[in-house]
Amino acid sequence: MNAVLRLQRFAATYSRSLVAYAIVAILWIAASLLIAGFGAYAHLRYIVELAAVIGLVGIGQTIAVIGGGIDLSVSAVITVTAIILPLVTFDADATGLGAIALALLVAAGIGAVNGLGIGYLGLPPLIMTLAMATILQGLLILIAGGSAISVTNPSLDWLGSTHFLTISVSIMLWAIVAAVCLFWLHGTRSGSLIFAIGANPVVSRLSGVPIRRLTLATYVISGFCAGLAGLLLLSMNGQGYVGIGDPYLLSSIAAVVLGGTSILGGQGSYLGTIAGAVLLVTMTALITVVNASEGWRSVILGCLILAMLPLSGRDQSR
Amino acid sequence: MLGQGTRLYWAIQWRRNEGLGALFLVLAVFAVIYAILFPGILAVGAMAKFVQGWFPTAMVAAAETMVMLTGGIDLSVGPMVSLGSVVGASTMQGPLGIFGGVLALLALGTSVGAIVGAFVAIGRYPAIIVTLALSFVLRGVALLIMRRPGGFVPPSLSEFLAGSHPTAAVLVVLLVLLWKFYQATPLGIGLIAVGDNAEGAYRSGVSVTTVRISAYIISANLQAFTGLYVAAQTGSGDPLIGEPLTLSAIAAAVLGGVGFLGGQGAMRGALAGSLLMSILINVMFFMGLPLVAQYVVQGLIIVATVALPLIRASLRRAS
Repeated sequence: MNAVLRLQRFAATYSRSLVAYAIVAILWIAASLLIAGFGAYAHLRYIVELAAVIGLVGIGQTIAVIGGGIDLSVSAVITVTAIILPLVTFDADATGLGAIALALLVAAGIGAVNGLGIGYLGLPPLIMTLAMATILQGLLILIAGGSAISVTNPSLDWLGSTHFLTISVSIMLWAIVAAVCLFWLHGTRSGSLIFAIGANPVVSRLSGVPIRRLTLATYVISGFCAGLAGLLLLSMNGQGYVGIGDPYLLSSIAAVVLGGTSILGGQGSYLGTIAGAVLLVTMTALITVVNASEGWRSVILGCLILAMLPLSGRDQSR
Repeated sequence: MLGQGTRLYWAIQWRRNEGLGALFLVLAVFAVIYAILFPGILAVGAMAKFVQGWFPTAMVAAAETMVMLTGGIDLSVGPMVSLGSVVGASTMQGPLGIFGGVLALLALGTSVGAIVGAFVAIGRYPAIIVTLALSFVLRGVALLIMRRPGGFVPPSLSEFLAGSHPTAAVLVVLLVLLWKFYQATPLGIGLIAVGDNAEGAYRSGVSVTTVRISAYIISANLQAFTGLYVAAQTGSGDPLIGEPLTLSAIAAAVLGGVGFLGGQGAMRGALAGSLLMSILINVMFFMGLPLVAQYVVQGLIIVATVALPLIRASLRRAS
């Protein structure tokens, strides 16, 4: 395949994602010119730091959506991680890494239960993950009640506050996990099979694609990534409470769709979700600058997402 | 003697119960458990109260089902109900009174439904992201109208809708009858056809765009009037009261066998699903289970009701 053809194919595949990046670039440039301090390096870095949480949740959500599913339990998993970590922090574990590993294990385990229900029992992803979210919500109230739980974990503090060459560790974490995800989705055989399952599950099954195992993997990854996001959120917040993860369900779906991944499955890229996450946080930041009341903030954000729709591409098949 | 058309109608209706057996069975079991635990429910007054508790969920389940049957989904149900309650409670003190409130709600439901319908049916944007964005807008507008619960609902209206009369039960029957009537109109017939196979429906002369837009308009009106009902129950408008209803509506619909991809399922399933959830909450309340256990049991029942037929089917295939 010659270079021009390859470039054309790249543009065709990623045009929706590229549009999201273009919007982010335009917004950043315009806002930097119009609003004093918006374009400062520290401020833009802060935006990306906030986007890292949505971006990490978005990894699992993107894979689930490309595979023809959806994960509605991500917000509950975030909350679980943010509440379990302070509880499993013990003195013998001086670095706090043990507690982090345990919390991530729980998150991946929840994802595994989702994956088993969806892949092996054949439950619709919507209902399985919704039920999981309901169950977790109940358990969380049991464990944490209404109170906020503070955490002291050296590794987590390091994650939330350290900069290497002026780049935050949290952004680096996001970049590394994102790179791994992108390589898996677009560079490996099992990754490309996720697209096949999302595009046509029946044909995939008849062609011998191990749908069950891949579905299980999808939701384990989603749980794990939501767990990572929970850790990051906790490192920024310092304490976990019931409801800490709630905003991230809708924003992860919004980031996926704004990034040009088809909600019907089989099409898209995590590349777009990255831009979608940054776009969401940028819009929220812009609204905060305008100093609007809570009601106006909500209205403006909603209208902005609606206004973005023509740019992020329409649904062709329906 | 029954005509052929009539027989065909009932045969089709009966076939549409397929796959709902498990749900109806679970529903019956819990209804019996409820009646044994709390025999007083069989009295008219207690029954009226129970139906009042169920009614908002039934309404939003019906609203969600209409949209899901066309292949869409509505994630803005909760904020729309909140907005309905806020608009209702803030317009009824005007010169037109209750009538003015009803007019305002009709205008609200129709305009919001038309906007969503235009985006989804004409613009062809995914319903999930349109209604997600809209949920932010509606929540914001509700908060702009009313920062905290307030407003005014005439006590006579509260007494009529949520008092000791079985008004809610009558409204449920009315809802079912209206649904049956709608299903007899071209728009209603097109509803399931469009969700099942939009291309085929279009080729058969169904106006896909009109069917979709009317579905969203009717759905939004149902949600707006659910808001009025909730406001009548509490006596005031509340900008956040509807929030949990988004998930209840989807859960009830999916529990009732309404498919995510459109064209699958029936209204009776969604209503049964919402009734099951309502009974479950009541039963667990009377058993003295803590709130925690209620969430867990509710989640497990949802999974079990959907999973059981699947497991049975896979066992049948294996043997």
